[in-house]
Amino acid sequence: MTIALAADERRGGGRAASSARSIGLAVLRRVGYAVGVLWGAVTVTFAALHLKSGGIIDAIIGQAAVSPEIRAQIISDYALDKPWLVQYFDYLGHLLRGDLGHSYNQGMDVTTAIGDQLAPSFELMAAGVVLALVGAIVVALLTANRPRWIRGPFAFLEIVGVSVPAFWFAILLLTVFSFQLHWFPAIGSNSLRGLVLPAIALAVAPGGTLAQVLRDGLERALDEPFVTTARSRGIRETAVLVRHALRHALMPAITIAGWLAGAFLGGAIVIENVFSRQGLGTLTVGGLGRRDFPLVSGVALIAAAFYVVINLIIDAVYPLLDPRLRPAAPTTSGPANAAAASITSTTSPSVSATGADQKGDR
Amino acid sequence: MSSNVFGVSKRVSLTLAAASAALALAACGSSGGSTGSSAGAAGTPVRGGTLTFAINSDGTCLDPHQSPADVDGFFARSIVDSLVALSDDGTISPWLATSWTVSPDQKTYSFVLRDDVTFSNGEKFDGAAVKANLDHIVAPATKSQLAAGTIATYTGTTVKDPTHVEVHFSAPNSAFLPSLATAYLGIEAPSTLTKPPSELCSKIVGSGPFISSGGYVKGKGIDYVRNAKYNWAPKNAKHTGPAYLDTLSIRSLPEDSSRYGALTSGQIDAIASVPPVNVAQLKSTPGFRIQTAAAPGGNYNYYPNTAKGPFADVKVREAFRAGIDWATIVDKLYFGVFPPGKGPLSPATVGYDTSIESAYRYDAAKANQLLDQAGWTGRDAQGYRTKDGKRLTVVHPFLKQFAREQRDVVADQVQAAAKQIGIEVKTTNPEYTSYIKDVAAGNYDLIDFSWQRASPDALRTLFGSANIPKDGFGTNGSRLSDPALDKDFTDALGTTDLTKQAALYGDAQQRITSAAAVFPIYVFNYVLGSSTKVQGLRFEPQAFPLFYDAWTSK
Repeated sequence: MTIALAADERRGGGRAASSARSIGLAVLRRVGYAVGVLWGAVTVTFAALHLKSGGIIDAIIGQAAVSPEIRAQIISDYALDKPWLVQYFDYLGHLLRGDLGHSYNQGMDVTTAIGDQLAPSFELMAAGVVLALVGAIVVALLTANRPRWIRGPFAFLEIVGVSVPAFWFAILLLTVFSFQLHWFPAIGSNSLRGLVLPAIALAVAPGGTLAQVLRDGLERALDEPFVTTARSRGIRETAVLVRHALRHALMPAITIAGWLAGAFLGGAIVIENVFSRQGLGTLTVGGLGRRDFPLVSGVALIAAAFYVVINLIIDAVYPLLDPRLRPAAPTTSGPANAAAASITSTTSPSVSATGADQKGDR
Repeated sequence: MSSNVFGVSKRVSLTLAAASAALALAACGSSGGSTGSSAGAAGTPVRGGTLTFAINSDGTCLDPHQSPADVDGFFARSIVDSLVALSDDGTISPWLATSWTVSPDQKTYSFVLRDDVTFSNGEKFDGAAVKANLDHIVAPATKSQLAAGTIATYTGTTVKDPTHVEVHFSAPNSAFLPSLATAYLGIEAPSTLTKPPSELCSKIVGSGPFISSGGYVKGKGIDYVRNAKYNWAPKNAKHTGPAYLDTLSIRSLPEDSSRYGALTSGQIDAIASVPPVNVAQLKSTPGFRIQTAAAPGGNYNYYPNTAKGPFADVKVREAFRAGIDWATIVDKLYFGVFPPGKGPLSPATVGYDTSIESAYRYDAAKANQLLDQAGWTGRDAQGYRTKDGKRLTVVHPFLKQFAREQRDVVADQVQAAAKQIGIEVKTTNPEYTSYIKDVAAGNYDLIDFSWQRASPDALRTLFGSANIPKDGFGTNGSRLSDPALDKDFTDALGTTDLTKQAALYGDAQQRITSAAAVFPIYVFNYVLGSSTKVQGLRFEPQAFPLFYDAWTSK
């Protein structure tokens, strides 16, 4: 018995090692991909800001009347006199050491400038994403395959939500709920109450898109034979919707999440301005106008990292929703695995980990 | 000293829409043209109370020695005191310096300093502090983008004893005292000046009526508490001792409608830059008040390139000046909130010459006559005037992304009005650095900017031949080079006598007018909206609202 157990463990160990190797490879690929994206973001930013006509020094000084000595000091402090290739590799070198450089125009280190603005931006984005997701799922579940008088108004509102400029909608929210009703503050982004209106304004357009995609998916799934089967087994309609149809409907919704992430980033700039919130948006727009390369590049890095993370999450979520995308797992290695495997085995031939990866990479 | 070309507080807010661009504090206002009643004249000031004030732009660097932005000077004004204070009429009052004399050659200023002043960190104010500050301003490492330029001929400070200093210049500079009175040359605690410039950008220590321990937070604003020990207010303040307000908060609310709504819904007490379209409405709303102050210095003006192109001909410039109904364009667009300009300077500037105003009257017949005389007699298919088969076209590089106060609409209307007299205005929207490059090279026929400054020395900045754009941006946009004008400016710098200065600057305004070297658009008014419980807010001559005398009634 002892021997048998040991052998079993050995076998288990071997399996673990090989799966660790493949996981290791997948992680390595992921990291390589992430680094590539970040490097690309920095390089494109560098090219965009340096290869335009006119010197960066002119953008820094602008219309200020500075003496030649101070002009020279600025040039030497920011190494603007070096060839751009040298500037580029210098910057990459500093980046590898974790140094984002010093903003040309904000009078502070980029790390500090971004660090101050990151948390408020993140709060807004997180609240917006949660709101858009929850809102879209609830609306889609409530209206899929419903009579026209239920479905119609919602579909109309979604279109309005998508088409109305976020700027205008934000002003409308402010006017009604802050200026008239006094329910929420127009300023003071540090409180939870101050987050409500900006999050709604940010969530409305992507939420509208998501709701449409979800409802469409739900309605298609509800036409599938497996739904008829489920119903014939006497499962309640709510359970059919939530447990069976929603899962199918979520796939296309998750696929556009990458695009939605962009919508959130862009929308946040507008929303931050209207609600006078702290955040990366205003910082970036200001930096771009004055060709503040270290600052813009720092923000580009954050945005690129954000995309990488979103894509990782999407990749991780696919197999959760669609068992066909899960790696083949051995059936006997533990309770957790066994549970997962039992689902896998009921559905489809396994797809390798690599397969799942590739799907996520698009 | 607000060097505010596009009104944009320098690199600050190019936030999305022009809306933000802001500037508010732009340099604004002097009570010289103040139309608001002296708010707060009613009632006895109440100690205690808080005030939240919202502005439409965001700061860049709190240290006024470094930053050229108006908003930064405004933030710093409550924290730092100056050696002297400037009044609306151009006179100078004692502040941290009790008296001063100027040497006969106008190159040395001797100050007697107060001996009872301490900075909020406990340091004592003395002669060494003055020297440390002036030296800090001109040190290349500070990279000062405004303050250093105002004392460009500074050669050093001699500390005679703790209460006596001499400040030396290599050339006469009668604009020194007005410059010294601004926050940009404000006195910071000397021990803090050895810190790296980036640290000073978020926090400065001074001897002023308010203390900000948290400093400036980007995207949010700045909070102050009263300096309880304050007992050295400038002589032109309305009271002595500590400020009335316990706390003061300044918030950045760039979006016009958000800022206005936050005021009218009672969420903040006062705002800068009430949108022109809302001014009449707010005036008629009970519980609110509008105070305006005209900014001194250059108006928002268009400048023709007198050195080359069609505008090299003075007749064409005169025709452009007379042939466009500038005043009507401005009045219709701004509802009277910003009055039309009638000369190179704002009427709020000390030394403003009213006798030149008639030269800026609309007269289309005269314009057409002038253009005929200049030889632009042909007409092409589109109705534009031509000479030798060439169309009368002027190029106007216009930075749309920096446009505030609907200046883009002004540009469109000027273009339409010019067409009426047969001149084609080509408005381009260049990228920022290529704009600077074109301005430096003189590749333009028309440029526009505002240049607010409390002293008529703004004329030298705007029309002195030394300021013709060369390496980068230059403030002499019309590229006027007139030795007689330059002599007026040099002579004015050589005298601190305000009457003599007025004569010299008057002559300069005449010369600029007869050269048709400027097309005035509007006088920037600082439009401050507040709840009526806010009392005692007043403007310093330079432009900024001052909070030292402000109080709030219960």
